Amino acid sequence: MTVLDKRPDAPTPTAASASPATRIREHARTRPDAVALRDKHLGVWRPWTWAHYWDQVQLVGHALLARGVRPGDRVAIHSENRPEWLVADMGALAVRAASVGLYPTNPAAEVGYLLADSGATILVAEDQEQVDKALEVLDECPDLRTIVYVEPRGLRGRYDATYAGGRVELVSWEALLAEGARHREDHPGAVDAVADATQPDDLATLIYTSGTTGPPKGAMLTVANVEFAIKILCDEGAFTSPPPGPSDLLLSYLPLSHVAERIFTTWFNAAAATQVSFAESIDTVPQNLREVQPTILFGVPRIWEKLLAGVETRLSGASWFKRSVTRFWLARARGIAETLAATGGRHTAATRLTYTLGWFFCYRALTERLGMRRVRHATSGAAPIAPEVLKFFMGIGVPMHEAYGMTENTAVATAAKPGRIKLGTVGEAHEGIEVKVDERTGEILTRHPSVFAGYWGRPEATAEVLEPDGWLHTGDVGEWVDGTHLRITDRMKDIIITAGGKNISPSQIENELKASPYVKEALVVGDGRKYLTALIGIELDTVGDWAQRQRLGYSTLRDLTEKQEVQDLVRSVVDDVNTRLASVEQVKQFRLLPKELDHEDGELTATQKLKRAAVVATFSDLVDQMYDGSKS
Amino acid sequence: MSTTLPPKTEDGSSPVAPATPTDRRAKRTRLWGRPAFFQSYEQQLALFDTWSKRVGVAVVVVVGFALTQVFSDDILRSLALAFVLAIAALGLNMVTGLAGQVSLGHAFFIGIGAYTAAAISGDPEARTIGYGIEEMWIWLPAAGLVAAVFGVIVAPIATRLRGLYLAIVTLGLVFLGEHVFREWSSLTGGAGVGRSAAEPVLFGFDFSDAGSDSMFTRDQQMYVLMLVLLLVFALAARNIGRSKVGRSFAAVRDRDMAAEMMGIDLPRTKTLAFALSSFYAGCAGGLLYTITGYFDPGSFNLLLSVQIIAMVLIGGAGTVSGTIAGALFVAMLPTIVRNLVAPNLTFISTLPSETPNVFQVEQILYGLLIVVFLLFEPRGLFGIWVRFRTYWKSWPFSY
Repeated sequence: MTVLDKRPDAPTPTAASASPATRIREHARTRPDAVALRDKHLGVWRPWTWAHYWDQVQLVGHALLARGVRPGDRVAIHSENRPEWLVADMGALAVRAASVGLYPTNPAAEVGYLLADSGATILVAEDQEQVDKALEVLDECPDLRTIVYVEPRGLRGRYDATYAGGRVELVSWEALLAEGARHREDHPGAVDAVADATQPDDLATLIYTSGTTGPPKGAMLTVANVEFAIKILCDEGAFTSPPPGPSDLLLSYLPLSHVAERIFTTWFNAAAATQVSFAESIDTVPQNLREVQPTILFGVPRIWEKLLAGVETRLSGASWFKRSVTRFWLARARGIAETLAATGGRHTAATRLTYTLGWFFCYRALTERLGMRRVRHATSGAAPIAPEVLKFFMGIGVPMHEAYGMTENTAVATAAKPGRIKLGTVGEAHEGIEVKVDERTGEILTRHPSVFAGYWGRPEATAEVLEPDGWLHTGDVGEWVDGTHLRITDRMKDIIITAGGKNISPSQIENELKASPYVKEALVVGDGRKYLTALIGIELDTVGDWAQRQRLGYSTLRDLTEKQEVQDLVRSVVDDVNTRLASVEQVKQFRLLPKELDHEDGELTATQKLKRAAVVATFSDLVDQMYDGSKS
Repeated sequence: MSTTLPPKTEDGSSPVAPATPTDRRAKRTRLWGRPAFFQSYEQQLALFDTWSKRVGVAVVVVVGFALTQVFSDDILRSLALAFVLAIAALGLNMVTGLAGQVSLGHAFFIGIGAYTAAAISGDPEARTIGYGIEEMWIWLPAAGLVAAVFGVIVAPIATRLRGLYLAIVTLGLVFLGEHVFREWSSLTGGAGVGRSAAEPVLFGFDFSDAGSDSMFTRDQQMYVLMLVLLLVFALAARNIGRSKVGRSFAAVRDRDMAAEMMGIDLPRTKTLAFALSSFYAGCAGGLLYTITGYFDPGSFNLLLSVQIIAMVLIGGAGTVSGTIAGALFVAMLPTIVRNLVAPNLTFISTLPSETPNVFQVEQILYGLLIVVFLLFEPRGLFGIWVRFRTYWKSWPFSY
């Protein structure tokens, strides 16, 4: 609260709490000309200063007040990552309203469900595509009053000003800001007054779970949850050590509707004044990484796997000399990584010497090309990752750390600490965080001030996961390693029990498979069966590239999966993984998925997680084939 | 409330934050260690956009000056001549390399410059025209300007012709010029006789006269003068290249019709290209014979034009550093042959009456190099450098 006390003109706060929005105001006061955000505009990175950022946040706040938004109301945001996302989010927070993030890939039906379930009155939609989705499901969302569009292309002059019989108004972003400017003239200080009255139990945001098994549920995160997460993650540097600061650069590219990206983009920025650059799109991430060369990098396993596969592909296309030199040093990097894995991430004299030599020949250039030369702390989270992938990045000098958390506890649980890494575990609990493993079920439970307030409008679902004494059931099964480090076995409901009664965690096997650059998706089946089998989706880029080098003609992904050579290639991957597994865990049979799994078809969630039941149902014929005339 | 907005955002661009003064300051700063991170177009177009480029240029300049203490006077004289030819080549590079207009008439513009300079600084008492204004800061720009005027006069033809036709017309210029220079003996001294060249005098200091009290020889002085002038002209050429004018040149080169569709005024751009190119040629012409002191109207023939074209092609059309490298290479070829090849291969005679002699070897090498470069490295010496740079920049991949 020292922040507010310093303001001479501030009204006396009443037991109010700081929030990310008031933190931005503080940055705008202390460092108005420093860069807060950057977005790519017409080919160059356009800087947004703190003063400008806060000005925009304030304008949106005023506009929301002018539109009658009251504390506790919901503002939905349906957009790719861009400064306006943050401005809308923080503008809502400044007037004590809660933001609801929608995934840009959400189809119209899910948009309708999310808008109706959250009861959002205002929707900030990025462009024509997202506006169209909302207009399609207008009748299902009785609470919606305003749709704000950010990109006017294709919308301005072509769409009506109101829809649904005058209930829903369509406004441009500029018009909203202009509205805010007028309101600010008429009611100066109105937003500041509301922001200063922020209460710790105000709803800060609704984050919808990805919903692998049922319809998404909105997790309610309060201002207190967020502020505690900021205290643990930014002030104490639980994810990055030393803690993030104004000289840190981050690239924002994963969906902001996910808690992890919200932490790394919005909250890190608001709390520690890090500089955020927004990637142009998910496809340009490799290029944007090279340009920005972030110092702190967060990625989900799929991103790390894809980057690794990209290195493999481009290396096999390199000239003979470059390839052999790089392969030599990558082999040394594996050795370095083995040592680092054994020491917990600390270099020995020998590895440091090897690394320094290799830095001149390979690692410096390689990390530069990957955009990770300046990364001082890389984090993988949100899903399990194969240790091989982590080791690759550790070996070439990217300090990789695994972190564990979930939406329901604001992603605050455990993280690998620099110098104390144990591969295969998700690290140690943060300071002051209670984490325990249920002795009976093996389920992981957490208790701390960042545990969410409950699911929006679903008290019974809340009661299932939240104990009255504050313990949160994570739904993950895990165990302690050496009493300090937590190892996650799997999602509780994903555990496979074979016909022989063995409990097997499929995700570990799947991650081993996915560590191969040729495997994009892997789904291990075997619940109640005699042996394990797998459905495998190939990575079209790398396998296609491989096929071309083998002079193997193909037309489509399906055609490629039916080639005997490709089957053999994947078989070699499976056999290799099997050698590292116990007999009962070995994958005896596999089939290649004839199509890419897709969010639209209901096979993946918005966060690209497998919906297991849906995939097994869709490809039941393939699964049945693998168990027909079973030869153990 | 209305959804209509002021017309200035009707272009469909995303809402732009108004640029505040602080925004502009942020746009000028580069982020350390992130060469591909640009916050404004100015940064993308910066003259020396990378640290290594800055250091590289500084090293080359320092070495350039240090060479005065390394080489003997006759080699310095050849180098000084090469620098002047490089200025002429920079001019041709502007019209041919940048704007894509073939010109065989460069020798003509060099001649105009040479005679303008000689006439302005010439002795009023001599048999040829002279006005006795020896100061270089007058005759050098005047030589360029007069040549530029002729360039502007020729330009309308270029706006109507393309490719081979333009080449033939500019070829005609050379013959016209040669004839006029030969016949106008009151200016040029007439064929086979010639006249004395301009005096390189700057604020009373005569570079071509090393008095007994001077610590430098005449050739060292001339070398430094030409090096400094080359640096000035090269810097100007590089700046023109990255300016709006230079970018419109490149647009015209790549596809004149597309350039016109994008709002580039073709006649104006082509005229400007010829004017700038002739200005460079004129200045080079004025300087060219100050080193030898005397010249003949027969010098401005097709061979000179072809020699300059060879410099641009071997160096790398469209690039300043490539053109300079090409000019040095072509201009120094006779010196290299005489000092390196002839002493080692004893069967090559240095007497013009015997066969094979060094002059023949020069001619053969000269032709051979043009053929080899056009066949194997069409982007010239600069292309070799680019390939070398790309190889290491793309490390450890190949693309």
